[in-house]
Amino acid sequence: MAVCIAVIAKENYPLYIRSVPVQNELKFHYTVHTSLDVVEEKISAVGKAMADQRELYLGLLYPTEDYKVYGYVTNSKVKFVIVADSSNTSLRDNEIRSMFRKLHNSFTDVMCNPFYNPGDTIQSKAFDSMVSAMMVQAS
Amino acid sequence: MSVPDYMQCAEDHQTVLVVVQPVGIVPEDQFFRIYKRIASVAQVSIRDSQRNLYIRYRHHYLPENNEWGDFQTHRKVVGLISVTTCGSAKEWPQTLDRFHSQKEVFGATLYDSRLLVFGLQGEIAEQQRTDVAFYSSYEDCPNVEKRVEDFVESIFIVLESKRLDRATDKSGDKIPLLCVPFEKKDFVGLDTDSRHYKKRCQGRMRKHVGDLCLQAGMLQDALVHYHMAVELLRSVNDFLWLGAALEGLCSASVIFHYPGGTAGKASGRKPSLAQGQGQAADAGKRHRPGALTANGISADTSSEIGRAKNCLGPEDIIEKYKEAISYYGKYKNAGVIELEACVKAVRVLAIQKRAMEASEFLQNAVYINLGQLSEEEKIQRYSILSELYHLIGFHRKSAFFKRVAAMQCVAPTIPEPGWRACYKLLLETLPGYSLSLDPKDFSKGSHCGWAAVQMRLLHELVYASRRMGNPGLSVRHLSFLLQTMLDFLSDQEKKEVTQSLENYTSKCPGGMEVLTLPDGLKLPPVAFTKLPIIRSVKLLDLPVSLRPHKQKGLLENNMSTKSPFIYSPIIMHTRGEERNKKIEFQWVQGEVCEVQLMVYNPMPFELRVEHMGLLTSGVEFEALPAALSLPAESGLYPVTLVGVPRTAGNITVNGYHTSVFGVTSDCLLEGLPSVLTSGCVVEVIPSLPRLQLSTSLPRMTRNLCPGELSSSVSVQLFNGETQHLTITLENIGSEDLETLEVASKTCNTKEKLFGEFLSWDLDEAVSQLPLKPGQSVTLTVNIKVRLDFSGGENLLQDLNDDGISVTGLPISSPLRQVLKPRAETKPLGSESSKTDYNHVKTLEAVMTFKYSGGAGKVEGYYRDLTLGVHVDIEPSVFFTRVSTLPATRTRQCHLLLDVFNSTEHELTVSANNNQDLVLHASECQRMAIQVDKFDFDTLPQPDQEALRYTNPKLLEEERLHAQASMINSTLAHPSVRRQGEASVEGVLNQLVLEHLQLAPLQWDVVVNGKPCDCDIIADCRVGDAVPLEVKLTNRSKNAVGPFALTVVPFQDYQNGVQNYALQDAVTFIGSNTFYIDTVKPTENSVCMGALLFLYTGDFYLNIKFQDDSAGQGKELPPSWFGLPSVHIKALEAPIEAGA
Repeated sequence: MAVCIAVIAKENYPLYIRSVPVQNELKFHYTVHTSLDVVEEKISAVGKAMADQRELYLGLLYPTEDYKVYGYVTNSKVKFVIVADSSNTSLRDNEIRSMFRKLHNSFTDVMCNPFYNPGDTIQSKAFDSMVSAMMVQAS
Repeated sequence: MSVPDYMQCAEDHQTVLVVVQPVGIVPEDQFFRIYKRIASVAQVSIRDSQRNLYIRYRHHYLPENNEWGDFQTHRKVVGLISVTTCGSAKEWPQTLDRFHSQKEVFGATLYDSRLLVFGLQGEIAEQQRTDVAFYSSYEDCPNVEKRVEDFVESIFIVLESKRLDRATDKSGDKIPLLCVPFEKKDFVGLDTDSRHYKKRCQGRMRKHVGDLCLQAGMLQDALVHYHMAVELLRSVNDFLWLGAALEGLCSASVIFHYPGGTAGKASGRKPSLAQGQGQAADAGKRHRPGALTANGISADTSSEIGRAKNCLGPEDIIEKYKEAISYYGKYKNAGVIELEACVKAVRVLAIQKRAMEASEFLQNAVYINLGQLSEEEKIQRYSILSELYHLIGFHRKSAFFKRVAAMQCVAPTIPEPGWRACYKLLLETLPGYSLSLDPKDFSKGSHCGWAAVQMRLLHELVYASRRMGNPGLSVRHLSFLLQTMLDFLSDQEKKEVTQSLENYTSKCPGGMEVLTLPDGLKLPPVAFTKLPIIRSVKLLDLPVSLRPHKQKGLLENNMSTKSPFIYSPIIMHTRGEERNKKIEFQWVQGEVCEVQLMVYNPMPFELRVEHMGLLTSGVEFEALPAALSLPAESGLYPVTLVGVPRTAGNITVNGYHTSVFGVTSDCLLEGLPSVLTSGCVVEVIPSLPRLQLSTSLPRMTRNLCPGELSSSVSVQLFNGETQHLTITLENIGSEDLETLEVASKTCNTKEKLFGEFLSWDLDEAVSQLPLKPGQSVTLTVNIKVRLDFSGGENLLQDLNDDGISVTGLPISSPLRQVLKPRAETKPLGSESSKTDYNHVKTLEAVMTFKYSGGAGKVEGYYRDLTLGVHVDIEPSVFFTRVSTLPATRTRQCHLLLDVFNSTEHELTVSANNNQDLVLHASECQRMAIQVDKFDFDTLPQPDQEALRYTNPKLLEEERLHAQASMINSTLAHPSVRRQGEASVEGVLNQLVLEHLQLAPLQWDVVVNGKPCDCDIIADCRVGDAVPLEVKLTNRSKNAVGPFALTVVPFQDYQNGVQNYALQDAVTFIGSNTFYIDTVKPTENSVCMGALLFLYTGDFYLNIKFQDDSAGQGKELPPSWFGLPSVHIKALEAPIEAGA
């Protein structure tokens, strides 16, 4: 289960970020922010001709001592980043993939809301509860 | 070896290390100047062998590191250049001793050394030595480079000999075991004769020879040796040295593939310029490194077929580096080697543009534990990590590590925190967080970058700059934080930030100047355009009374003629132009001008804005700053900024100035695209005088007419009343009043107004001009209200017709003298009808005072002062019915008026010197007024207003004078006398008018030489002939006649009997019938006859008319033949006559 989930706009500013240990949120900000380097590198590594067939899931972006950072980029260059505890060895790649898929679906729902301005921070309750379900319970 | 050299790169393996050090006292700047000159000799082409020797210079090198020189020969110090100052020959021996002792430090590894002596005066007694060079001063040493080249060549000779010595040493009997410092104790007591040991020795030696070959410029040989070494060492599991051999292989391959070097600009290494023919090819390769990285095969294959076989491809280089690093990782003491290998590999990968793999190497490097690092080393390590991440394009990661380094500078464990260094490093992280310190970058469009981390960084900048002791910087950064991150700050943070900002500004107020840091970075000023947020800027016109107007006809042709079309629906201007659009109205020099801003406060607390003023250009402008306090989260709030233009010209409002939380900011509108404005350029015209108007009547606040009025007065009058209004005009400006014009306009009244509503005489006022400032002039205006006095139809029913015909032929009855006023009062029908008459009507007019003077007048401007006059008109009297009665005279007639008093007061009515008629409230009485008939044609033609019929206007002269005076019946107040005039103008109808009109045919009857009319009694004597003359004057437009007139005498007995049988009492002399021929217009015709009365008595003559012009067409109206009846009194003839 994730400890931090972030949605990042095409222009690389956060649309949504939530982490479980709330008191150290800034640390996750830094983690996710620096992970964008890798995301950009991975996107640019795939040639432009291949952009259509590119897989959205980027896999593990980089491991840190405590966390593993996974990335996912939609075709419209919106980035999803999930940070998972590296001690949690039970988490498999497939599970991460399905989490991203769920995240993407929920994000699509948010975008379909006619009252949502693309580029605004996400304040949807449905999205929020879906993210909460994917997070590690704080207890 | 504990201190890693982070600047190392793969091609350093082919260099020889030379240490340059000062000996004794050498000024630092002088030393580094010499050091630079020495270091410029980084590459020396050896004359005979076409090989290049690369030299790496260090001015500081740990002897501890030198001990690793066998492991990798480029770590070995092979040359020493000492720089020293020696003033005199006396000091020389001492200096030489020092040089020797310094040589001892690296003595084991040195191939050669040199001493450069500066500043020596005079001769040294000692013999010339090759390793010492003398220069008179640090400036005057032209051949330093040459000497260094010689020195390098001598090193090369040693190197080459060592290489040959080791390479050809094939006996294998006693190959010494090369080892690194920490291994030495491990090999104590080992069996030196074992095959394993020998192989190890061989392998290590191969590797060593490979190093030497590489240094000596024999790349191909080096590759071969490295390959052999790898095989040998792999077989004996000598992992440390295997790693070194692999790294050597990688280095040689890198040198082969990337002759341009992998260090980039950071190392300060000058790219070697083409010096020989061999260099040309290198230079060519350097320009297209992509060709190499793409397919891993050198494009220039012809010369390198043999070499390429041993050389590693780009992919293999990385593989081998990985392998080498993994071997190094097995040894805790080789951490530095491992770290350096990582750094070298990253540099290679950066060249290959393989950022992902590079980041893996770096990630590994992060975890390499070098034991206890000093704080300084930590900083260095983080900085270099940052630099390497930057190199591979990971700017965020780079910024992250730089920030960590910055934080390390001020870690609590450091006794003297380096805030300056911290601040400098933090500044370097800005691009990584896509943050610039120019607020302009944030003004356009949406926020860019990650606000949370940007905010954090700004907070750190603020803190660092404060601890640096530069409060000005803190204020600037804090202002920037507040301005750009406002949307992301929580309410609590907003409060904290503003509080600390206020704290800082109490020591150092923030301003608009550009701050320049010592290293040249400029911090542009931060203007608080969001505190408060401005939504719109609107330049306000002057108040109506102060607005200048352009004199018409003067310079009217400067209308903008941008388009050939008079009107076009296409609006050409864009928003940007709109800002520069000129506004139609003008401001006046010396007058307070206003600009309205719609502002709101985004802060969750009250915002105090001080010194808020306008920024203008074009005209000298005195801004009068305002202070305002905006409530928390206020909505749009209008703020009016004022100022006085001191000169004339075009003024542009560029922006506004504020002072919030002690920070002054100049906010320019051009940087605020969200501000709405309808133009910011306005013309300021020269000053004009200014009039203040006061009146004798009470003021009224309500605006009456459409359009703005400077002031207005209100008065209540009875219909027909006249009121004087005294207007005082005072010049309260600073200019002389030179011209004054007054005009009035009655506005949109539905009531029919008779006579002039407002009248005045301006001459007296004008004679007092020019009016100096402070002086005043008065003007009296008469307000005359004269509305329709007709009572309408429904009152007609209330008064019974008394049976007198008004339409019949003239009745010349002596009875109809003056109609007695009717005594009975008719009660009004109902209350509702009464209210109709009590209905108050209003009349409104606007007086316009145009005035001008001073410089503004020269430019053709004037000002308007308008005074609205509002009159509530209460009905006074009504003429409910009008009729005429013929008077006894043909030239006169009686006008009968039913006068109704609709007021609640008693009033008296008098007309034409008649006796007064007292009317009680709501009373209706009839009065008769004798009026002269008149001739329309003699009156001037109507010239002013087109009325329904022209006649009423002509009737103006024939106005009924009805003086109404009334006594106020209220108890408390003293009686007030008011009087007015009522006009019948609107009352007279067509029928009545016809009767009031003189007939076009005028008849004059002259009896006995005297003109005779109905009520005149002509005297004559019995027996005398009485001449009778009838004169016809034709005033009609057509010729009339011929007519026949018959004179019939009769006697009236006053009892209804008329006696026409008078043949024996009156006789005619001549005919009693006159014939009148055709009378042309404006001509007249006279008929003469005579009468003879035979008896005394009262006789009447009835002149009968007979139209002989029958068949001529139309009948003339009977009223045209109003001949007077003649009354003749025949008297006794005098005695004498009778006798």
